[in-house]
Amino acid sequence: MLSAIRPKSRVIFGYLLIPIVFYVFAVFVPLMTAAFFSFFNWKGGPNKTFNGVENYLTLLKDSVFWQSFGHNIYLVVASIIGQIGLAFIFVLIINSKLVKFKGIHRTFGFFPSTIAAVSIGFIWTMIYDYKRGLLNWFLALIGNAEAAKVWLNDEKLVMLLVSIPLVWQWIGYYMVIILSAISSIDKEIFEVSELDGANAVQQALHIIIPLIKNTLLVCVTLCVAGNMKAFDHIWVMTKGGPGNESMVMALYGYNISFAQQNMGYGSAISVGIFIASLLVIAGTQFIVKLVSEKN
Amino acid sequence: MANEYTRVAGKKSSSFTNNPILFIFFNGMLMIFSLSCIFPLIWMFYSSLKEKRVFNADIIGLPKDPTMSNYVNVLTNKDYHIFESVLNSFRTTIISLVLIVLFGFIVGYILARIEFPGNRLIYAIFLMGVLIPIHSLLVPIYVVFNSLDIANKWYTLIIPYVSFALPIAVFLVEGYVKSIPISMEEAAAIDGSSFTRTLFSIIGPMCKPILATVAIIQTFSCWNEFSFALVLIKDVGLQTVPLAMTQFTGQFTSDYPKIMAAMLITMMPIVIFYFIFSRQIIEGMVAGAVKG
Repeated sequence: MLSAIRPKSRVIFGYLLIPIVFYVFAVFVPLMTAAFFSFFNWKGGPNKTFNGVENYLTLLKDSVFWQSFGHNIYLVVASIIGQIGLAFIFVLIINSKLVKFKGIHRTFGFFPSTIAAVSIGFIWTMIYDYKRGLLNWFLALIGNAEAAKVWLNDEKLVMLLVSIPLVWQWIGYYMVIILSAISSIDKEIFEVSELDGANAVQQALHIIIPLIKNTLLVCVTLCVAGNMKAFDHIWVMTKGGPGNESMVMALYGYNISFAQQNMGYGSAISVGIFIASLLVIAGTQFIVKLVSEKN
Repeated sequence: MANEYTRVAGKKSSSFTNNPILFIFFNGMLMIFSLSCIFPLIWMFYSSLKEKRVFNADIIGLPKDPTMSNYVNVLTNKDYHIFESVLNSFRTTIISLVLIVLFGFIVGYILARIEFPGNRLIYAIFLMGVLIPIHSLLVPIYVVFNSLDIANKWYTLIIPYVSFALPIAVFLVEGYVKSIPISMEEAAAIDGSSFTRTLFSIIGPMCKPILATVAIIQTFSCWNEFSFALVLIKDVGLQTVPLAMTQFTGQFTSDYPKIMAAMLITMMPIVIFYFIFSRQIIEGMVAGAVKG
């Protein structure tokens, strides 16, 4: 039967050719190029000299790269706790029948996730601004004006401060994903458990979480992948500073390659980012699989 | 026994749902969150109607005599290229979307339906694309594009945007096509419809819902994409919206109302799009995320 709809091979080939060329050209060719140039000493000019694995040895000892990697992990953890955790709590509240204007919460809450990270970065830069920022204005309002400071210059707080916009931006997104997962649970289960005397917390722990586990794991995967590539809003807010206190991997690779014109080492960093991100993403996938098979 | 038990439990849950303190606390918490999501937009809107001097004196108050001067300034000053950047973003986004939907549809359909040697290999190649950390391509893509002299052109950004979106588009379409009964195509083939005709006039319309989902997700990622635009576009006349915003980081950091006016102009198309189609957009994004 299938042969009736099977077109000639050259027709299939013709249809597949352009998309695959596009895709291979923009994804695999750059990867190969990076792998190739990572073995060269190349400062962006016409001169390239082969220097073997020297770039990689430098990378292994490059404390800034590892610090950036740590910051990516920080963002991942902050996002899993802040985004998925808060989103889950908000969803429980929305589902508790106590809350009015559910549609508005959905529409407004989701809104920030549709805005460019660059704009989000700008908005929060204005919030953190020393003289004209909303945060210091608020501190003055509650009579705590002496706590005001140049927020994004604070080495100890800067990672927390740049992760707040990121977490805030995507809460609504995860909220809607979790909401739609819960709405597919049979209502009878809740009614029966209520009759059995289960309270809201027990329902959440013993009914909702096990039943939407797969959705929650999808959320974790999205969180990990999304935060390993953090770049835009940190570029806008701090450019990785003060010092390297809010540097992330993609931004570091960018700085080395373009600000310092060190394309050879920049390529090695790109390969490093590739491997590090892949390991973290694959590692989470592995844990996710393990968790879902256990239960 | 059982009766008593249910009654007690019923009482408990009703006292829970009628608790006024919880009611206020829960509603208040969600209100604060929802307001925080929308307040920046409102704050930027009315602040953009203030002059810099007025804004610096009072950052939160409503403007006493609203002025359009920031908007006039941003739009008429040729150095900012704000209007051009909106056009560039429109062009890049629309062409990318058309190609993503077209390519995603064709590849997804062929991989789902037609057996040929290499089908699974191509599938695996696209599967890898979902896992590849795209941001590690930032520097190498610049090297490749620059050496082929295709960086910094009007079409430059379309290439990575289409390529990066293809894996997810292919998967969504492939999964969707598998749920369509194959008898449609068989009937069409028996009636003498060519492959191309079946593909576009029979399968195409049936795939509309999933293609709409793909288009919605990618509208936002193309319009908002920043890092590859930053690396690949140097000419201010070619920059997209997120890139146009960054020119305000250094030189005008003190003139917030002007930055806000520029931001609102560049955000406007996507904000209007969102609030008109919010229900479809939310559903589409969620469907894409969960299935992808």
